[in-house]
Amino acid sequence: MTERSRLDELVNKRVVLITGKGGVGRSVMTAALAKLAAKRGKRVLVTEVGDEGDDYSPLARHWNRERLPKHPEPLETNIHGAVLLARTGQELFLKSVLRSGTIARAALSSDALRRLLSAGPSFREMGVFFQLLMALREKTGTNPTHELILIDMPATGHTLSLTGLPELLLKLVPGGPIAAALKEGQTYLNDPKLAAAWIVTLPETLPVSECLELIDGLKKTKMPVGGVVVNRMPADPFTRAEREALAPLVDQHAWLGRELFKKPIVAHRELARLRSHTALPLFVTPELPHEGLIASLTTLLDDANPLPMPSGGA
Amino acid sequence: MSDVRVGELLRTKKVIVCCGAGGVGKTTTAAAISIAAARAGRRVLVLTIDPSRRLAETLGVSRNPTDPVRIPKDRSDAAGITTGSLDAWMLDIKLVSDGAVRRLVKSEADAQRILTNRIYQQVSTMVAGMHEYTAMEALHRLVHAGQYDLVVLDTPPSRNALDFLEAPKRLSGLVDSRAISAFLPKSDSLVARTASRVIEKILGAVFGHEFAHEFVTFIATFTSIFQSLNVDVNEMRRFLSGDDVAFLLVSSPAPAALTEASFFHDKTRELSLPFRAFVLNRSHATDAGRPMPTVPQDASEAVRSGLPKLAGLAEIEKAAAVRDLTLLGELQKRAGQGATAIALPDLPQGADDVSTLVTVAEALASS
Repeated sequence: MTERSRLDELVNKRVVLITGKGGVGRSVMTAALAKLAAKRGKRVLVTEVGDEGDDYSPLARHWNRERLPKHPEPLETNIHGAVLLARTGQELFLKSVLRSGTIARAALSSDALRRLLSAGPSFREMGVFFQLLMALREKTGTNPTHELILIDMPATGHTLSLTGLPELLLKLVPGGPIAAALKEGQTYLNDPKLAAAWIVTLPETLPVSECLELIDGLKKTKMPVGGVVVNRMPADPFTRAEREALAPLVDQHAWLGRELFKKPIVAHRELARLRSHTALPLFVTPELPHEGLIASLTTLLDDANPLPMPSGGA
Repeated sequence: MSDVRVGELLRTKKVIVCCGAGGVGKTTTAAAISIAAARAGRRVLVLTIDPSRRLAETLGVSRNPTDPVRIPKDRSDAAGITTGSLDAWMLDIKLVSDGAVRRLVKSEADAQRILTNRIYQQVSTMVAGMHEYTAMEALHRLVHAGQYDLVVLDTPPSRNALDFLEAPKRLSGLVDSRAISAFLPKSDSLVARTASRVIEKILGAVFGHEFAHEFVTFIATFTSIFQSLNVDVNEMRRFLSGDDVAFLLVSSPAPAALTEASFFHDKTRELSLPFRAFVLNRSHATDAGRPMPTVPQDASEAVRSGLPKLAGLAEIEKAAAVRDLTLLGELQKRAGQGATAIALPDLPQGADDVSTLVTVAEALASS
């Protein structure tokens, strides 16, 4: 199977987690994938894991909003958006279990319970997890309301807490409504036909090392990994002869431009290292101008276009 | 200009706390500070939680030992440490919190009962604030043991640089007696008893009754421990506001860095913590003095055709250098009299060898 068709498969899932460390272009990639899937006629819900006090969302920015709404609202044709908040999820969950909104709200406004729920990251993840489950369950007629749910995941640690949540909590709470919700969630998240995590990384030393660690971590939590997007692959403007002639001069004089001169070499070395350590599909996207970034990425990811391959390098 | 110097801090302070959001190179900076201080002849310990595999490998220490370990002689020699010494402790949350339980509980039987409680086993690693609390606890103990001149703390990774300061408060907020008493079955007032019955009922409906019962028992067993924990958090605050301590904020030259820096600055002031320096990591500010490419006298054809392209790249780097210099200037202004701001270079290879760390250490020692 080609890498292109693996990427294509992504839009046919029910839930896709976009993960990777900060600053690698995760939100941009999430937005581009949402637009691509919408263009193919999928009803998409684009989400991110948020915090109560957040005043800024890098993802919402792509739809000219300060932040995403608490409950799904249309952002553009075929795309809804919502932020996944622990508290919203906990409230939804308590409502469904206690079958009364009043008691659920009273329970959540209890100082003791509120503190408990906000202190335990597992309770927070549980809220997020449940909100996601509700979105997965939602139906319009007999069809899922949101055919594809894309989640822009926060830092990698949080991703592993969320994907590892069912197993951790099921050990602690083997029965009851939480267990039932967790098991239902597992039927989606642990099924490679329905779910995938895609890791966004950069062709640099530390991001590649962290990406490899994350692949292992996700596998341990039974989360199927769809593949890796290697973002911002630098183009190499130099010919081989130019490189060989310039390399000693650049070092000798410590000229400005030295780091960018070496960047494509490092990038190709790191891409090769990633390839040699994982059999997962890798999708390489080039460095693109800031202007119209989402549009160019969406076009790039679309299979109507040839697979982009960075030129040059060692 | 402020008269605070980072080189001076690492030669004189007893504790340096490195704060910062995740992914800014905080662990690398903490390691470089430690190396710089050890090179200056001090006995140094670097304390870090959940470090990357790479840093542990670079320093040649295993992850999660029960106590601090001396870095091997070949690394120590490579780092140019002679009269000083460098120990590292890559903390394991569970080991440290088990240790804390043993110290806080009077009898071994009580300790065993807690350590084998399955709720404790999960909670000890999953309660927010536990990482931060653990780090503070270890720091406090090791500083008072007196075997180190300087302890450098690399705070746990988080989205927000302030989490480290806030998390222990959240933990002590949870264990605040008012919140706890609602879970306890025994209470004098009818209102409290009713409230605790309602809570147990809700917990029962949500978690299942077996778990709810176990949970309430767990909270009851832990009340005393939580209370001593609470005291410790305040005691640690006092300790961290001392004159021997310096707080550093590590950030990267992102647009948000400035906002974060002033937020952090205000917060440390509000908490009376001794904030001493902004460290602008991965910055190009130090590149500003490097020369633009020029055509050498006996340039080959390949050099001549390649140079214009290189000049283009040099312009981009120059612009980055100017931008980061401006940012550094802003940070210095914000730091005021009692603190400073310095820039550390972007390390293209990552901190994967001792010599890279030494380069950073040298920059720190002379700043």
